[in-house]
Amino acid sequence: MKMSDGTRRTVEFLLDNLVWLMLIVVLAVFSVTIPGYFQFGIFANILEQSTFVGVMAIGLAIVIIAGHLDLSVESTAALSAMVTGLLFAKSGIGMGLTMSPEWLMLPASLLLAILVGAVIGVINGFFVVRLGMTAFIVTLATFIWARGLVVAISGGRSAQSLAPSIRVIGIERILGVPLLAWISVACFIIFAVLMAKTPFGRYVTLVGGNREATFRAGINSDRILWLSFILAGALAGVAGWLLAIRTSGATANLGTGMLFNAFAAVVIGGVSLKGGIGKLPGVYAGVLLLYSIHTAINLMGLPAHFTQVILGGLVLAAVLLDTLKLRLREKLL
Amino acid sequence: MSEEQPLLKLEGVTKNFGAIQALRGIDMHISRGEVVALLGDNGAGKSTLVKIISGGLQPSSGKMSFEGQERHFASPSEAKAAGIETVYQDLSLCTNADVVANFFMGREITRRVLGVPILQEREMEEVVAKAMADAGTRIPSLRTNVEHLSGGQRQAIELNRFVHWGGKLVLLDEPFAALGVEQTRRGLEMIRRVADRGIGVVVITHIMAQAFQVADRIVVIRQGTVAGDLKTSETNPDQVIDLITGATLSRAGKDRGGSN
Repeated sequence: MKMSDGTRRTVEFLLDNLVWLMLIVVLAVFSVTIPGYFQFGIFANILEQSTFVGVMAIGLAIVIIAGHLDLSVESTAALSAMVTGLLFAKSGIGMGLTMSPEWLMLPASLLLAILVGAVIGVINGFFVVRLGMTAFIVTLATFIWARGLVVAISGGRSAQSLAPSIRVIGIERILGVPLLAWISVACFIIFAVLMAKTPFGRYVTLVGGNREATFRAGINSDRILWLSFILAGALAGVAGWLLAIRTSGATANLGTGMLFNAFAAVVIGGVSLKGGIGKLPGVYAGVLLLYSIHTAINLMGLPAHFTQVILGGLVLAAVLLDTLKLRLREKLL
Repeated sequence: MSEEQPLLKLEGVTKNFGAIQALRGIDMHISRGEVVALLGDNGAGKSTLVKIISGGLQPSSGKMSFEGQERHFASPSEAKAAGIETVYQDLSLCTNADVVANFFMGREITRRVLGVPILQEREMEEVVAKAMADAGTRIPSLRTNVEHLSGGQRQAIELNRFVHWGGKLVLLDEPFAALGVEQTRRGLEMIRRVADRGIGVVVITHIMAQAFQVADRIVVIRQGTVAGDLKTSETNPDQVIDLITGATLSRAGKDRGGSN
């Protein structure tokens, strides 16, 4: 089929940004059909809810684009949250650590959470990149032992009442939108630029596409993979820190099920599990789509359990769509 | 030939893969601006030899000198830093990325913004467009992913890449396998142009006519050793085929070359 350059470009643009189109359509349909959906507060709430899975999904997407997999992000987030809660919460198992000046606790707890995540990333990287083990097995093991560590250090109990100077992050609003939502937007912008505009992001995509070729071209592909795993761990650490702030502490089962939401968002967002394909703005749209549907289910008063059924269907639809997209592209372009 | 030292010199290079001896001791040299065709049957050791020169494999023993200095390349990036470019038989392209990204793989043009290196896409695209136009390669859009391009177009990208980056020594492993007649002709011209810039070129090929068309010297590899090292002007295809198949020994080959 012959096509003019203009139409071709339009079709390509639409195919590349299909998730955003879906998000707009879904939001429009919900706004018209569900009473009370079309409100600023609802949309702000969707943005806020998307923060935790969103930040986690960034790291997951980077590892998947680099051609690997990280199943451990959920447990990593839980461990970071528990470390934050354990040190800086006042009741329960919290030790109520204080610092002077008080504001110092905010950057200190964030750095600690990032460090915990990065260390787990290094451990994953060691087994996958250095020893050449399969990422699926390595990160599945981490998923299990890191959660085990959370239960072990907490004794199954919880930490409550996080220091107010840290909780500010979960309470403040800018222009009526929760600060948490701004943080996730900022993370997506920073990492989208990193992936699309810098050599590092370019190399992640190239390594995910053909590692041998990047090796021959003199790119240190091992270093790129190490960095991907460390970034995924560090971002999961941030997600856990934010989660601890939101719940003002940490429980042993905090964040359970986030992995599947993050995976769903990444796949819906157009990242291919084969590696080398995917863009972060699409992943953000995937996360937003997920929580738009969550919110709709809540508003309609359906039992929350239905969310999971719909989520499963959505992931299947996303993969189906990806296949169709590929066929369409072959036919049209 | 002048008395200057060769660009690349191999002395007694061997390579074992476990019990298998792929190279049994290779002695050869390449001078600046010279095109050497490397011929040999399947499994003779040509690709192994190319990988050793380009740093992809380490020799089991032997000496390699580049520009008069003994060198050991631990990785392709080290060989590349020394000025050795390689075009491999199985293409070294990332099909999930566009033409520009592939052309600049590992050498992106960046500008620092607030200390962060930012890719200069427009600048890179202009360079690629010019390189493609110079070589007469037509690709509809430099922003299409390589997976949508034909085998010939892909090989043209690789060839243009080496012409553009040049270096001091270029290794081409079966560079024309997927090219049409006209593209092959351009490719051979390209090789000549690159050599005229004083760059040493090693071409591996199966096609005798191409070797005679472009090479100054023909080196025949047989069972892991150099079976013949002949000036193109002083030999003929029949003699080379004999060397490849082992119908004559290399000394006998030289005698016959003299009697022709």
